[in-house]
Amino acid sequence: MTAGAALDVVELAAGVVLAGAVLALWRKDLRALISVLALQGAALASLAAVLAVGDGDVGLGVVAGVVLVTKGLVIPGLLTRVVRADPGSRETAPLVNVPASLVAAAVLVVLSYLVAGRLTALFPDPLTRLVPLGLATVLVGVFVLVTRRKAVSQIVGLLLVDNGVALVAFLLTAGVPLLVELGTSLDVLLVVVVLQVLATTMRARFGHVDLDQLRELHD
Amino acid sequence: MSTTAYLVGLGAAGAAALLGAILPARRRLFGAALLSAAACLAALAGAGRVLVSGHPFSLHTAQVLPLTGVDLSLDPLGALFVATTAVVGLAAACYSVGYGAHATPSRTATAALPAFLATLLLVPAAASVATFMVAWELMALTSLLALLTEHRRRPETRDAAQWYAAMTHVGAAAILLGLVLLATHAGGQTFSAIAAHRGRRSVPLTSAVFVLTLLGFASKAGAVPLHVWLPRAHPEAPSPISALMSGAMVNLGIYGILRVGEDLLGGGQLWWWLLVAALGVVSAVFGALHAAASTDTKRLLAYSTVDNVGLVLVGVGAAGALAAGGERLLAGLVLLAALFHLVNHALFKGCLFLGAGALQHAAGTRDLDRLGGLARKMPATAVLFAVGALSISALPGLNGFASEWLLLQGLLHGFASHSATTEAALLSGVAALAITGGLTATAFVKALGVGFLGQPRTEGARGAREVGPSMLAGMALLAGGCVVLGVVPGVALPVLDRAAAAGLPGGAPSALRVGLGLDLASLHGAIEPVLLVTGLLAGILVIWGALRLAPRHAELRRPRRAEAWGCGRELQTARMEITATSFAEPLQRVFADVLRPDHDLEVTHAAESRYFPEAISFHQRVDDAIERVAYGPVIAAVAWWGRLARRVPNGSVHRYLAFGFAALVLILVVLA
Amino acid sequence: MTATFADVATLSAASPGLWARAGASVLQVAAVAAGGPLLLGLMGKVRARAEGRIGPPITQGLWDLRKLLRKEAIRAEHTSAVAALAPLVLVASAALAAAVTPLVTTGPVVAGGADVFVVVYLLLMGSVALALGGLDAGTAFGGMGSSRAMTIGAISEPALLVGILALAVQAHTSNLPGIVAASLAHPGWLASPQRLLALAALVVVVIAETGRIPVDNPSTHLELTMIHEAMILEYAGSDLALVTVGEAMRLGLLLGLVANLFFPWGVEGSGGGLAILIGLVVLGAKTATLAALIALVEVSTAKLRLFRVPELLAGGFVLAVVAVTTGLVAR
Repeated sequence: MTAGAALDVVELAAGVVLAGAVLALWRKDLRALISVLALQGAALASLAAVLAVGDGDVGLGVVAGVVLVTKGLVIPGLLTRVVRADPGSRETAPLVNVPASLVAAAVLVVLSYLVAGRLTALFPDPLTRLVPLGLATVLVGVFVLVTRRKAVSQIVGLLLVDNGVALVAFLLTAGVPLLVELGTSLDVLLVVVVLQVLATTMRARFGHVDLDQLRELHD
Repeated sequence: MSTTAYLVGLGAAGAAALLGAILPARRRLFGAALLSAAACLAALAGAGRVLVSGHPFSLHTAQVLPLTGVDLSLDPLGALFVATTAVVGLAAACYSVGYGAHATPSRTATAALPAFLATLLLVPAAASVATFMVAWELMALTSLLALLTEHRRRPETRDAAQWYAAMTHVGAAAILLGLVLLATHAGGQTFSAIAAHRGRRSVPLTSAVFVLTLLGFASKAGAVPLHVWLPRAHPEAPSPISALMSGAMVNLGIYGILRVGEDLLGGGQLWWWLLVAALGVVSAVFGALHAAASTDTKRLLAYSTVDNVGLVLVGVGAAGALAAGGERLLAGLVLLAALFHLVNHALFKGCLFLGAGALQHAAGTRDLDRLGGLARKMPATAVLFAVGALSISALPGLNGFASEWLLLQGLLHGFASHSATTEAALLSGVAALAITGGLTATAFVKALGVGFLGQPRTEGARGAREVGPSMLAGMALLAGGCVVLGVVPGVALPVLDRAAAAGLPGGAPSALRVGLGLDLASLHGAIEPVLLVTGLLAGILVIWGALRLAPRHAELRRPRRAEAWGCGRELQTARMEITATSFAEPLQRVFADVLRPDHDLEVTHAAESRYFPEAISFHQRVDDAIERVAYGPVIAAVAWWGRLARRVPNGSVHRYLAFGFAALVLILVVLA
Repeated sequence: MTATFADVATLSAASPGLWARAGASVLQVAAVAAGGPLLLGLMGKVRARAEGRIGPPITQGLWDLRKLLRKEAIRAEHTSAVAALAPLVLVASAALAAAVTPLVTTGPVVAGGADVFVVVYLLLMGSVALALGGLDAGTAFGGMGSSRAMTIGAISEPALLVGILALAVQAHTSNLPGIVAASLAHPGWLASPQRLLALAALVVVVIAETGRIPVDNPSTHLELTMIHEAMILEYAGSDLALVTVGEAMRLGLLLGLVANLFFPWGVEGSGGGLAILIGLVVLGAKTATLAALIALVEVSTAKLRLFRVPELLAGGFVLAVVAVTTGLVAR
């Protein structure tokens, strides 16, 4: 694969990750959110794979495989099980309505371009220049965490943040040490499993998984 | 030659004010209007000569103002504003003959228009801090006077005047502070001396000067959040005055920003211009949203002024930012586009305000919900208003499109500058243009469609008659300008080029090729509106002709008139037509977070059963959310302070004298 | 990106004479005028087949036009000249836009008008004309339709212009032949993220502007849910024929524009009858594919409530903003 074509793939994958974050704000159907995550996982994996082929780095190739399995298959699969237990579940009433969230996302994207643009100007490198996209993904993910009510949406927000961080890591260092990547992947997996258990228990207790209702526990 | 013409114009405007005050009642109106028109023509000749030749003039006289004297100078930038004012003033003067004719106009009313006009012509030529501030304050005073002329008939005018007076004086104080601060750190108080001192001032000082003056100029231009006076004052003023306020006075706010920021301070910091662009983006979107939701014709036009001033500020800010980054060609292009839009805005908004005055004159109301069907009662007004409305909606072939296209081109090519912050500003600018474009079209389809089409909704609208020839002539002048600059925008380019070059320190190379259309020579991009208009008219004629001639049966050639179908309803009354309020309802609901409308629904039920409502009343107000949120606390605080201060005076003359004496002693102590 | 300017310069130098270009423009207008109704027919056919029906023939739209032209035009008694002018302006503006857009060839007759913003504002002109026409008869439904159509137009404009900006920034010009030439010179752009994001944004806009499901249901018979149809309720006979053909032309034009901006292959640049013929066939194939895809989406989605439409269009707007930013980052 030529360097130019490899860069094209990396750019495309980074764009897909950010577009996925926007889609996660756009759609209310929880199943759609999960397919967005799967798409992001695949994009990250292909990005890592292209970098691995380009550098001849076997460790990175393994990381790509791990990313594909955890982020692309296992986590979406687990979340699908949570959602399937609660058919027709939608993010019905987010704290900030969808058009306003989308406009906020536009502002966040421009903001991360401004901020990260300053940093990447220090290392003018084809990969480093894409860092704003990863930062924007992180910001949008936090926005999802802040404004969405359902437990599953919260998990999705968390995973968006994680994907954004992974994207930034791949772009900045062109290869996270294998151990670190494995560690974070397993951490995230663990968090998802815990949240899944929590959500299931919540449903068994309260009959829903609307986190806003947890406030009642405080009173 | 240009000096003489300009001074004659200034003198004639002053004389017109005098004539308006002293002539007997019957001749007053005509005499003042005639002389005002002559003044505008003379000033136009003077400014036009400066613009065409590119040679500025300047003069100094020690006689008029003590201590400092008066400095006047007209460079191409100032001349552009004088020329724009003169054109709008000419139309307004012409229009005022018919507008004031229905009742004997008071002396003040007749004198106010020429006096206001004279100060508007004076400000862009002021060439020293003292002269500028005197001219600026005179403009504030005369415009306040002009605004108040109808206060006996409409008490709301007083409220508007209070807002205007407060805002304009706070603004003037800020400008004064900024300019004095600047003058004390420069070799003198004339603009040329200050400009010669450009490079030798510290950044904190120049930044303070810029922010202070920006505060004042932006409030005069009507930029959000300093716009609150505008949607009150413009609707309440008599229509010729509204036209002058929207078409000439707000421009001078832009002029001030350019004169101080670029000319006197020499461009300065990048963040100044990003601030200007941000003000522009917010103003454009906020103004366009309120215009789309308004149902009062003149309030709609006033908010649309906020919108267009915002677009001009986007251009000015982008130009400043590009110039600060060293992109002279692009900066010149964007500034040219902004100035072009400013001139175009003066033309179509002047025309629209005069048209709104004609509506009020003929139908007795400016409320769109009470108009309707006026196209058949007053066809000439309808056509002229339509030209203005379609121009401001940026339809190809009219001037609004030419300048918006140029502004879009400037912003697009500015992306070559490779500065992240500038690029973010440019992107926000394009987004603002895009958001306002559709909203403006909606607002003016509403004004045109609900006001002029359909059936009359009230007796007033049913009894409307076409207005007189002088009013039509005033509107036609400005509408004609819209068409000419729309079809052959290239004719204005040499003049605008000189003004834009004078607006940037060190000048700017021209990005445009001279021709009838607009052609960005090296940047690649061109439009040729003449061909577009020809093509459009040819298309309409061909289709119309084909439909008229082709059918074999005679009855197919002419459409038949019948009762409106309305999905088979038997009765169609004007009560069933859509109103301006309902037309704006979907947009208002979409943007409810910004507009925050208040609804009030009262249903009274019949005594016998709750299932039968006896009467339903629905009230809706869309107040200015910024006014409520930002100005409410300030007003409350001032009122509290006022109540506190009221305890001090108790009626004793000795106490008052003691206060004066104490103040004098305090000042002496400070000085010592 | 200096190559872009050079490409365009050679392109305009090689473009044929005025009469040939005028002929090409007329051909494009004719192609859009005939192709628009056919595309609508195709979309109807695809929907019918997907729903297990046979459906009317693809040429049904043309037959309907013929029928309408043989009927008497009736206008409401209170209408002004606007009701008569609106259909004419709609068709003329769409035809002009079709004449200047490089659909079949890059050398349109109004060389100075081949700007993407000109096309956008010409389409706006048609929308404004129709909305004014809807208000002219003074009926309840007409005004309601105008209000809704203008609202949707207003909120789709940001996505449209910023989406176009993403392409124009990439090509360093908003000149349509320039964008097409630049895309031809850089095949890698097709898969670039900013292009794909801008494409997504523009498809959302095309669906909204042409009044397709999920924004508007073109085949509804219930006035209260109508948007576009409510606006044109008062038209009959040749007036209705003009409005119908105008709307079909706008659909064809928008699809052709999107097809040629994103998949520019087959647009004829140098002149010559055979090349133009090939361009025509390729254009037909591209737009037919897009139309069929939109029809398939229509089958599987439900119409959105009017006040959910802003969500859709806000999404388009954000995709466009992300497209521009990605373009700046990946430059």
